[in-house]
Order: sequence, then C-alpha cells, then structure tokens
Amino acid sequence: MPNEEHAATPPEDFERPLELTDDFTPGESNFIKVDNFKFFYGKKEALHGINLKIPSRKVTSFIGPSGCGKSTLLRNFNRMNELIPGVHHEGDITIHGMSIYDPSVEIIALRRRIGMVFQKSNPFPMSIYENIVYPLRIAGQNTRSVLDETVERCLRSAALWDEAKDRLNDSALGLSGGQMQRLCIARAVASRPEILLMDEPCSALDPIATAKVEELIIELKKDFTIVIVTHNMQQASRVSELTAFFYLGNLIEFDNTRKIFTNPSMKQTEEYITGRFG
Amino acid sequence: MTSAASNLPRNFFSDSGKKTSVLRLFRNHFLTGLCIALSLLTLVPLFSIVFLVIQNGLPLLSENLFTQLPPAPGLDGGGFGNAIMGTLVMVGISLGFSVPLGILAAIFVNEYASGSWLASIVRFVAKLLTGIPSIICGVFAFAAVVMTTHKFSALAGGIALAILILPTILLTAEQALLGVPYAFREASFGVGATPFQTIWRIVLPEAMPAIMTGVMLAVARAAGETAPVLFTALFSQNWIKGIMEPTASLSVLIYNFASLPYAYHIKLAWSASLILVTLVTLSNILAQVIFAPKHH
Amino acid sequence: MYKEPAKPHTLSNFTTSLDQLRSSVLRMSSLAHLNLKNSIKGLMERDDDWCNNCIADDEEIDLLEMQIDHEGIEVMSRFHPFASDLREVISSIKIGANIERVADQAVNIARRARKLNEQPELAELHLLDNPIRLSLEMFADAVRAFAERNAELAVELKSRDKELDLLNKDLTDALINRMQDDSPNLPSYLNLIFISRCLERIGDHACNIAEDVVFAVNAEDIRHPGKV
Repeated sequence: MPNEEHAATPPEDFERPLELTDDFTPGESNFIKVDNFKFFYGKKEALHGINLKIPSRKVTSFIGPSGCGKSTLLRNFNRMNELIPGVHHEGDITIHGMSIYDPSVEIIALRRRIGMVFQKSNPFPMSIYENIVYPLRIAGQNTRSVLDETVERCLRSAALWDEAKDRLNDSALGLSGGQMQRLCIARAVASRPEILLMDEPCSALDPIATAKVEELIIELKKDFTIVIVTHNMQQASRVSELTAFFYLGNLIEFDNTRKIFTNPSMKQTEEYITGRFG
Repeated sequence: MTSAASNLPRNFFSDSGKKTSVLRLFRNHFLTGLCIALSLLTLVPLFSIVFLVIQNGLPLLSENLFTQLPPAPGLDGGGFGNAIMGTLVMVGISLGFSVPLGILAAIFVNEYASGSWLASIVRFVAKLLTGIPSIICGVFAFAAVVMTTHKFSALAGGIALAILILPTILLTAEQALLGVPYAFREASFGVGATPFQTIWRIVLPEAMPAIMTGVMLAVARAAGETAPVLFTALFSQNWIKGIMEPTASLSVLIYNFASLPYAYHIKLAWSASLILVTLVTLSNILAQVIFAPKHH
Repeated sequence: MYKEPAKPHTLSNFTTSLDQLRSSVLRMSSLAHLNLKNSIKGLMERDDDWCNNCIADDEEIDLLEMQIDHEGIEVMSRFHPFASDLREVISSIKIGANIERVADQAVNIARRARKLNEQPELAELHLLDNPIRLSLEMFADAVRAFAERNAELAVELKSRDKELDLLNKDLTDALINRMQDDSPNLPSYLNLIFISRCLERIGDHACNIAEDVVFAVNAEDIRHPGKV
C-alpha cells in the first residue's frame, strides 16, 4: 500500500506559489472543502479519507489510473453517486462553508448550483433550444424572453452561438460530437451554477474538438470553479492550475499543476505521470 | 511498387484452385441459399392467409357491412356494424385499464424500484401471466364481473381483454424504458431534475415509440381474441346501447357465423375477418406514424 | 524528491530512447574530454600534430551535438515526457550545447598552441599548469555528475569555478607585466592570455553542465542565485 499516512494528510502548503509562475494566487482556497471523506459502494471502500481544498475560479484536475476514485469523488460534489443503490459515506464535503449533506440541503437545488458535464456527451433528444432551457423549465421558468436570453447567453459562453444560432430548433442529435459536448456545457451553465464538474469531457472527441473544449474550459474559469477528471495528462497540464493525483482511493498528491508535472513530491505521482506505472 | 508486387506469388490474395477453397466456397453458397429458401418458406402461410381472407372477404365488402345489423339465420343482406363497434369499444375499455396500469407498473419496476424484491415479483408475475391461456382470462372475468353484476357486458369483455394484454404492455413498456440510455437520466438529474420530471419529460417521450409498439401488439391480440369475449360480452344482434349490455364483437361474430350452415353467413364471417385484419394493420401503421421518433 | 528512476517505463521504447539520449551525451563528453587533452598535449609538448588532431576531431563532436538535439526532440514528440523525464531531456540538450562549446574552446587552445609553437618557448608557459589541471578536473567532474546523477558533486563545482576565475585574473595580470618587459615576445604572451581565457570559459561551461545536472536531478534552478 503506497503511503497511507501521507494520503490522509495532503500537503497543507499546496497554496504556496511556485517561483516564476503566477497562475495560482493563494487566499481563496476554501471553496470546496473535502474533509476526511470516505465513500463506500456497499461494503467496498472506494475513497479512504480524502482531505482536499479546491479554490474558487480555478481549474482543478483530478488524475489517476482507472478505479482510483477520482470520478467517485467528483460525483459526490453534486451527490450524483446517490443514484446508485447501496452507497454511503463518512466525513463531509462543504461548499461555501456549508455541508452538502446538511439536512436542509435540497439535492435538487444543490445540483442546480453545480453543473455537470459527462464523459459521453448526452444531449436530450430534443431541439438545441429545448436542451438548453431544460434546466429552467424544470425549475418552472417558462417565460419566453427569459428562455431566449438564456439560450443566447449559454450558447455564447459555450462558444457555440455562431454555429448554432440558425438552427436552434433543429435536433441536438444532429450536431457533431464536439458540438454536442459544448451543447452539454451550455446546458450545464444554464442554471447559472458556480461550479462545473467535468468527468472526462474530451475522451470521446477528436483533437480539434478537444482543443475547442479546452479553450472553453480556460475561458469559463473566469466565472466558474471547474473540477475536471481526465485521463489525459497533457490535458490536465494544459487546462488546470491545480492537479490532484489519486491512487487506490487515496489522494496521493495535490499541488500546483506545474509542480506536479515537472517535479512531483511523491514517488507514485512521479511513476504515474512519467509512465512507469504498474 | 510494381517490383514489390511482382515478388508476390500470383495467387497471394486467392486460394482458388486449392482443395479447401472449393469446399469452403460451396459450403458458403449452399448455406446462404438454404437461409434464403427457409425465410421465403415462412412467408408462405402468412401470404396464403392474407390471400384467402382477401379473396373470400372482398365480394361482400360494401358500406352496408358497417352500417347494418346482422341478418337473421337463413336470410341474406345486412352487415355487422354492431360487431365492429363492439370490438372497438371493448378494445378501448381494455386499453383504458391496461395501458395506464402497465406503463405505471413498468415505470415503477424500472425507474423507482429496479432491483428491489417487489420489482422482481412484479416482473416474474407478468412473465407468468403472458403464458396464461386466454380462456382463463375469460373465466376469471366471468366470475369476477359477470357473476357479480349478473349480466354479460362490454365492460366484462373489456376487463377480460385488459387482463390478457396487461402483461404484454407491462413487459414491452419495461423493455422500452430500459432502452432509454442511462446518460439521459444522468444528464437530467445532473441539472437538478426530480425523478418525476426526468421520467415525464425525458424518459417517457424517448420510450414512447417502443411502448406504443407494445400497445399495438396488445391491440392486435385483444381485437382477435374470441375466448375471453365469448364468456363475458356474449353476443348481441343489436347495436350497443351501453357498456353494461351484452355486446357483439368481430371475433365472436366470426366464430358464430362460420359454424352456421348458411352460405351468406359464412361469407359475412370472411368479410369480418378481412375487416379485423385491416383494422389491426391500420392501427399499427397509424401508431408507427404518430409516435415515430422525431429526433433520430 | 524522487531521484533515481527505479522502474522502467511501461512503454519500453521510451526507456530505450531516453537511454540512447543519455549515452549520446556521455559519448560526446568523452570525445570532448579527449580533444581537450589533445590540445593541451599539443600546447605543453609543443607538438602541432596533437593540435591538428584536436581541430580535425571537432567535427565529430559538432555532429554529435546535432544528434543529441535530434534525439531529444524525438523523445519529446513521441513520448511527451513529464517530471524527471522531461527534466532529463531538457538538460541533456543543454548539456550537449555546453559540451560543444567546451570542444570549441579546445579547438581555440589548439589554434593558439600552433601559433605559440612557431615561436621560441616561453618559461611562462608553465604558469598555465594550475588552470589547466583545474579546468580539466572541473569538466571531468561535471560529466561525472551527469553520469552518476550526482547533484552534490555538481553543486560543489561552482565554488571551484571561482578559484579558476581568480587564477585566470592573476595570470593575466602577471603576463601583462611581462609584456612590458619583453615586448619582442608580445604575440606569444597574448596567446597565453587567450589560452588562459579559454580555460576559464571551460570552467564556466562545466558549471553550466553542473547546473543542468542539478535541475535534472533535484528540479532546482541554482543559476543566478538571489536574483529571482
């Protein structure tokens, strides 16, 4: 077992800015706080006491081999894991200092505050327009002008407006793979969330579509706190300011992305990112 | 390039001339031919039924069939408008019971309680019920409705048919819901939809074409069944006056008239068969058109 | 800090390519070292043949520098190295450039030596003994630090460089004084000053190599301390 005791306490000084880089400013580091968080699928413990602080309006990437728990943790931020029967957790996750497991938290409202983009783009079998306004409609908003305005705002922020403005009433399933994924991003920001969770958003896209989505991620961090799970280490190093490396349900290392990819502190991290794993 | 190609043996991409090749090619052609022949063979009964029904049913086809009542035994003329009405009414009643019940049960089994013991029981019982002989449904409706209301009625016939088709609708609806990709539900939950909103706005519309295919299968079965109706709605020479009256139906009419010794009644039975087949086919096509998936 | 890469890469071609790059750097450095020694021999033994050898062999070293760049770029584009691998590739390329400059200094020494050899021998030639010993040692140790991934040895080189600088300065002052007394031999004294300057530059390049080794091994940038 690699370094259990270290995994439980990630380096507290991860906010330390690295010399010569200005891509991380310390001080706003308590936006999403994961506190000794354990997660179980039935009897199987998938996360072993994770401690993590994700700063706001930054891109944080989760990397690690398959089954390391990175997606599991991501899906706990908006409690999507609870759709799976037989799961439970210990510890706590707070956002804005508020526990997401507080009894007063409505799971519906929570998910509206946290947008999610999935591995496989999953637009609904409806028009482009209806896809984007779906989060509003389910919240009871049906005023045409509000919906129109939202569609334009979201398509613009997903860099899809120019491509889609003339075909808003066409089926979303007629879009290309990359466009579909950007549509899903547009839909995810429709309810004006503060956090965007992305679960391998580019794994099914070609390099050009990937580049567009990555460009979008960098653009979106002005307004959103973005957490992205990725298997593509180049992608993590391109888009994120902070990188967390997970292995076997432990957080091995969490640090400035530049630091992780040029000089990681932990042996497992080094082995993973240099391709000496397993 | 040419020099490289010329280095290859001439039959590099071909086995022709070798012993194995001949055998293999023959076996391939033989099996392909056999498959085509056998699939044509399965079409023979289907086409001969359609041909027979059209050939025998067509001569009497006129608007009188739809507007007039059946003739008394031994007489000519007349039609079976009351039986068409009766079939429509009873199929309608059966759908009125079984469609909401079947779809709701399928939603429960697949969306809310999938994996629970209750869901597996419901699924098991439904599978069991599909194998029940239709006459048992008739007997049950007879005991449950006819005996208690002391009357043969369209309602009793409709209930018998509803019991007959409920499992079909439930199981096909469940398959239809299963066919909706999980990604859609995930996306909907991800933007903060409740389970109800997810089912109502995303899952059901997406599953609707497949559900309707199941319903249409059920309609075809219900419209064609004789045994359950024979026990429960009986038959009537008159126009239907209410759902609590004995009611004529096409299937019972065919059964009754075909066994009469009068040539005209037997011809009427053929025409009724033709109309029954046409009705079922039309409703199938209609459903396919209306509920065709719009976004694929 | 995770130093010695214990495991080979999952992709064995990656390990092979990195090893290849490393062995090219080592080969280049031993050639450069040999060339340097040849030029010194030509200087001290007043033998033009050694000097000509050194000048002729420089071409091979230039080719090796290009080969190292090529291999480094190949590793980068094929395997996208990260962390220690990335640092190793970057410093290998930089070390290659520094070795090439050391070899160029050896050629300069050889050229100056041929000019000296045309003139009568000066007693002051042996003032160069210490700088020669020190610069040869420094270069050899820089290469050893790279070969052994020895950051301590590399750090220690920097202090020796100061010593070499001082030696060069003293020697230059002494020779300038001699020039005033012995003006007929002025060109030879100038050549000696140039050679001393070359030796001092070799010390600088050895330091640069050492800095790259420290970066590759410890991910530390020890250049220009206190300026960032």
